[in-house]
Amino acid sequence: MEGFFSVFTIELFNSGIRLATPILLAALGGALCNKAGVLNLALESKMLLGAFLGIVAAYYFGNTYLGILVAVIAGGLLGWLFAFLYHRYQVDLVILAIALNLIILELTVYIMRVLFGQTGSWSDPSIVRVPDIHIPIIQDIPVIGGLLSGYNFFVYLSWAIAITLYVVLYHTTFGRHIRAVGENKEAAETVGINARRIQTLALVLSGMLAALGGAFLSVGHLKLFTRNMSNGRGWTAIAAALFGLNHPIGTFFASLFFGFADAFSVRIQNVTDLPPNLVEILPNFATVLVLVLIALRETVTRSMARSRSRAQIRAAADEKPGPA
Amino acid sequence: MALALEMKGISKYFASTDVRANDQVDFAVEAGEVHALVGENGAGKTTLMSILYGLVRPDAGEIKVDGQPVQIHRPDDAIRHGIGMVHQHFKLVPSFTVAQSIMLGMEPNRGGFLTPNEENRIVSELAERHGLPVDPKARIRDLPVGMQQRVEILKVLERKAKILVLDEPTAVLTPQEVAELMRVVRNLSQAGFTVIFITHKLLEVVRVADRVTVMRGGRNVGSKAVAETTVPELARMMVGREVLLKVNKAPRQPGPVVFAADDVSVTDVRGFPAVTRVSFEVRAGEIVGIAGVSGNGQTELVEAVTGMRALDGGRLALNAKDATSLSVRQRRNAGLAHIPEDRIHVGLNLETNLDENLIVSRYKLGQFNRAGFLNRRSMRDFAIDVIKRFSIAAAVPGGGISRLSGGNMQKVVIGRELAGEPTFIVANQPTRGLDVGSIEFVHRSLVDARDRGAGILLVSVELEEILALSDRVLVMYRGQIQGEVDPATATEEQIGLLMAGAQPETTAPTA
Ligand SMILES: Nc1ncnc2c1ncn2[C@@H]1O[C@H](COP(=O)(O)OP(=O)(O)O)[C@@H](O)[C@H]1O
Ligand SMILES: [Mg+2]
Repeated sequence: MEGFFSVFTIELFNSGIRLATPILLAALGGALCNKAGVLNLALESKMLLGAFLGIVAAYYFGNTYLGILVAVIAGGLLGWLFAFLYHRYQVDLVILAIALNLIILELTVYIMRVLFGQTGSWSDPSIVRVPDIHIPIIQDIPVIGGLLSGYNFFVYLSWAIAITLYVVLYHTTFGRHIRAVGENKEAAETVGINARRIQTLALVLSGMLAALGGAFLSVGHLKLFTRNMSNGRGWTAIAAALFGLNHPIGTFFASLFFGFADAFSVRIQNVTDLPPNLVEILPNFATVLVLVLIALRETVTRSMARSRSRAQIRAAADEKPGPA
Repeated sequence: MALALEMKGISKYFASTDVRANDQVDFAVEAGEVHALVGENGAGKTTLMSILYGLVRPDAGEIKVDGQPVQIHRPDDAIRHGIGMVHQHFKLVPSFTVAQSIMLGMEPNRGGFLTPNEENRIVSELAERHGLPVDPKARIRDLPVGMQQRVEILKVLERKAKILVLDEPTAVLTPQEVAELMRVVRNLSQAGFTVIFITHKLLEVVRVADRVTVMRGGRNVGSKAVAETTVPELARMMVGREVLLKVNKAPRQPGPVVFAADDVSVTDVRGFPAVTRVSFEVRAGEIVGIAGVSGNGQTELVEAVTGMRALDGGRLALNAKDATSLSVRQRRNAGLAHIPEDRIHVGLNLETNLDENLIVSRYKLGQFNRAGFLNRRSMRDFAIDVIKRFSIAAAVPGGGISRLSGGNMQKVVIGRELAGEPTFIVANQPTRGLDVGSIEFVHRSLVDARDRGAGILLVSVELEEILALSDRVLVMYRGQIQGEVDPATATEEQIGLLMAGAQPETTAPTA
């Protein structure tokens, strides 16, 4: 029993935050796309590409930050390619995403083998992981210091992006135009808003954010690349955006939820005797549960409204006898 | 007077539908006038105005505003030249407020940041200046259609338009709202605005316009001063031949009750009450019309009657047998036929051929079905028979139907539904979007079915249609039957008041 409660520690919180970060970065991109009315189901592969290019470029340039920059630019270019194919040739974004998700996985493994002769994972001692930041003053506050200080810039940047995205979407003219395009593209176009430009921008930015989340995995959290490193986080990010109702702040908390589910399952493996295989799929259960909730939300509100309506009708019928 | 607008030699061909929507159209509007643009559905009115507004690129032609040639490639260009358009289907963002919608694309801001208070003030002032009061903070999705239209008009005015294009603005309004809109349009023209008013209802032309241009089959067939023309003349220009504005029908011979709704309640897709405690009967040999502004529960009532939506209270009876929980097929076997509102998505399957569309409601019959396999030969014979009986021009047995005109598509639906001689027919907006010839055909078919002894429930938002066809008229308002009127004696005002929710003066006894 004691073992069970000992899982709740500051370290659990720290690793929850860290594991939430790549999800949050990609989910913010997904939420932005949803707000702009373009479905981005390629977050997973853009993230994997970011993880791969981030560490490979860091290795060749001998500079981790340049590596991250390369990853982000590549993610943006890929987003731009999506927008171009979608707007110019009306290519279906879902089909495009499926194709990309298949290609990137194989491509990264292939290049890893060609360049480094590895198929499972690759690292190099010369690569430097992004350092953690210890915030002065805050780090000395008991408990709070332990909770808020000591992450690397990815983590703080992801929080800043969440807040910025919220401010842009809900308090600037540009954000209002994005929401108008997403909700009624024609309405926006007839008042002269360039919907194509807005949707392109959303796809580019979400590509950059997903790639940034990927780079966090390979040079921010760990210091290596493994085959299929994103491992479904891009899909979890899509669930997080939906769970957060595509609102940046909602998406922030939804991503934390998934991050903590991840951290919790890792922690439980360390302190309990539960079979590891079972514990490992715990976060996946959390995702499925959330997706089911999202799917049922409409149905449940509808059937609740319906039973309320029925009760009203019955009550009215009891009050005064009906016509005819 | 000076010309505010001149369009010359405008042509537009749509390859996807193979339609010459505009063919060498010349169109001129004088400054400060209300100019009606009339024509049947598909005549090319919307296309012409979409070209003017930069939404559609013409193949040929030129445009002059205030005598100056202009290039209009995008709505921005049109707005810059003082042209504003209120579209047939409103272009509003449901979650936005009135002020947000009106100011969309030109929001007051401080360095890119929104200033909601200033926005609301600007909109209040704008509304006051034009005598069109609105609540700047109300959400679009909560507003009635008439109000949404007002938002669209204000949107155009805020963009400093001098030429206002209103595309079929009355189609969605109650007669009272129409009268109000007419007043607004006259005021705008007095204040110096030029208004182009698109409609296919000729009585509205006479009420509101100074001049009128008639389009037919993509061409301009003439422009006239309203004072120098008549409704029959315009009708002739519009259709290209004499039109019978009345449906000839014999006095009704009501027989036994074929359908009864008793205290029926239904909720809509979101679970909110759509129809509450509605009771009525339809007898053999009569047409019962349901009038009302669209969105007052007609759709849900029809779905409940035809078996596509479960009831939340009450009972239904078909030919004196309980039908409350019968499936669609069981109801059809009990004599029900359904001409749905949306012929393209619900009424037909455009992906498959004519034969399959015609037997889709009866493929289980031995005639078409041999141990689970379709009998192509008898399907073909059936199709040939229906084509002949309902004179479906351009339809080929075994051929596709996706390229048929709206009128011919509706004939396919009607052919399928009426071929089995049903005892009870539900017709929901059966003539929406059809040309006059097809409308006459649909009306004739319904009246013939009635005379043959079928009971018909006709739902339509076109008051003229309801009055022309029905033997009794029920008016729906907010999911209830607001009153019953006799179409032979009722005035449009009387029905209009009921449609707007007024209490009936003399409650007609329900049958
Ligand atoms: N975007 C489009 N693509 C293909 N065909 C179109 C398009 N818009 C209109 N049409 C066709 O052009 C014709 C004229 O349509 P429209 O201008 O909407 O007529 P109206 O407004 O007079 O009812 C119709 O036959 C219609 O089907
Ligand atoms: Mg039109």
